[in-house]
Amino acid sequence: MKRASSVFICTVLLSCGAVRAQEAPDLAALEQTEQKRSLEWEALANDMNDRMARMLPCDPRAMAAVNEVSRASDARLESLADYLRAASAKAFAETADAKNLLNIEERAAVEVTLERADAGQEQTAVDTQSDALAQSVKQRASLEGPQKLLTEIVAIVRERATVAEQRTISADAAVALLRELVAKFEARDTALREEFAASEAERARWSGYYAARRARAQIECSITQIGTPAPKGRQGKR
Amino acid sequence: MRKLDLPNPRKAARLASGALLTAALFCGAAGLIGQTTRDQYRQAYNLWQQVQANLERDAGNGGAPQVAQADRSASAAASFEATRAAYVKSASDDAVRRRSILQNATTRTSPDLVPPAVASLAAGELLTVNKAIAKFTADKDPGIQELRQSLERERVALVALSNTIQTRQGTVAATAQASVALEQARAKAAEAFGDQASQLSRNAALLEMERAAWADYYSKLADAIQNANLPAPSPASAAPAVSPVDISTNAAPTASAPAPRSNSVSPVPLVRYVGEWTFPVVNGTFHGATPVSVALAVRENNGHAEGTLSGRFQPPPGVTDPVVQFTFEGEIAATPAQRFTLKANDGRSGVVELIPGPAFNLLEVNFQMDLRPNKIRSGNFILVKK
Repeated sequence: MKRASSVFICTVLLSCGAVRAQEAPDLAALEQTEQKRSLEWEALANDMNDRMARMLPCDPRAMAAVNEVSRASDARLESLADYLRAASAKAFAETADAKNLLNIEERAAVEVTLERADAGQEQTAVDTQSDALAQSVKQRASLEGPQKLLTEIVAIVRERATVAEQRTISADAAVALLRELVAKFEARDTALREEFAASEAERARWSGYYAARRARAQIECSITQIGTPAPKGRQGKR
Repeated sequence: MRKLDLPNPRKAARLASGALLTAALFCGAAGLIGQTTRDQYRQAYNLWQQVQANLERDAGNGGAPQVAQADRSASAAASFEATRAAYVKSASDDAVRRRSILQNATTRTSPDLVPPAVASLAAGELLTVNKAIAKFTADKDPGIQELRQSLERERVALVALSNTIQTRQGTVAATAQASVALEQARAKAAEAFGDQASQLSRNAALLEMERAAWADYYSKLADAIQNANLPAPSPASAAPAVSPVDISTNAAPTASAPAPRSNSVSPVPLVRYVGEWTFPVVNGTFHGATPVSVALAVRENNGHAEGTLSGRFQPPPGVTDPVVQFTFEGEIAATPAQRFTLKANDGRSGVVELIPGPAFNLLEVNFQMDLRPNKIRSGNFILVKK
């Protein structure tokens, strides 16, 4: 299972690059193929014992029936592996994107903190301007108009500083959520890897079962010899 | 062609500023979009702070130098606001682009991949094999014993298969569960970033209000300083007061002299026209013929303006000569929009209008010349001060 998992990771990492370079794989088409192969196998597998029950042990069609179901099983499990590989490649690419986003957003959050500091500095500066103008108005009444405008600017800058503060809090919260999201991406990827490994293990077990089924059919034939075609020489003597 | 000769040119400029505001600011930033950094806008801020230092303190008893300082401060503030607006827009666009991945549902594996009958099929086979084994247990025939052993091996294979089927089903359920948890986390993160986007919008709106407020403030401040020093207008004369002091050169007024903003009759500082201007390399604003490059130089002396314009345009249909070169001159009028007679190098004549833009470092130019085959006849664009 571990080996299957390692092979899977290598394969998927390679296909991750392919996913980025080319278009994403058509999962819907792969799913359709898998379902078709499953139906084909299911029909043959359900019918196998009934068909074999009507044949003599050494009837070549008996072994052919087992082989046919075995091939259909291989085809089904191969298409399932194809689907899981493609889905995983797509999923792993998403995880890489999410990690990249987290990286950038962490830097952006630092930038937002600096912008908040800038807003604070601007607020102090405009407050100082406002105080100075208030003094000048005492000397020159015509400055009352500009003073009123500066008071409005002070209010705008103050609100902007408040928004900057909120942005800092939001950015930190969003980055925390993004970290959780990346962890969920990784958990999903782990689950996918385990699903693929389990699927490969099952594939091996189905092969083992069909091999055992074939062996039984051979023994049934060898101990009964019923249904074995007569040797050509004897037929000639007749 | 945009209508520029509105009854009140100052009002026209204000109206135009509304429509052209965003684009014009980015013109002012001269292609800084996408590459503006916080350091750049902080530099612009520091420059503004240096230029406007002590202006409010000195406004109480100041004169012409403070009027000029107010104009310079307005220009520096406009430059800072334009640079910051470019930075904010660039950062916002980047954020929207990179966060778009959060809007898409994550990849989920289909729950319908493996037929549900797989487990029951294996279980059915196991039952059959167990029955056969039980049937042959007592039979001592060597052939039957061989068959029974074969069935035993098949049973072992089926038991192992059933176990792996169960294990796989467990992993499928775990993947589905992990996918659901991932989707929930994605939706939550997308929502959080959505909140950030609305804060960014609010921030951008406040910055825009602030930009307009600073421009208005400096204009009013300069007017207030100027008007406080002007003598009361004579009721007999409707003509605006004319000062001998040239503010465009920052000449200091005498202690008792009024502090007019210009020695011309122009209601806006001459620095809004005088100087060297150019068409921005990217994101230029224009109407009609598309400018490739435009250079404008304007000089003023005792209320008389003269200048040269040299431009190259993308040839519109029917035009083979995309180059325009002319000189112009005339008296500064008591209106924000200045209209001068022009003389082109190819002998044509016409008129050119210079209209102060929405920011101090922007100037709208509108020219029209005689019609001549294969030649550019008119142009309308906003230039940035060099």
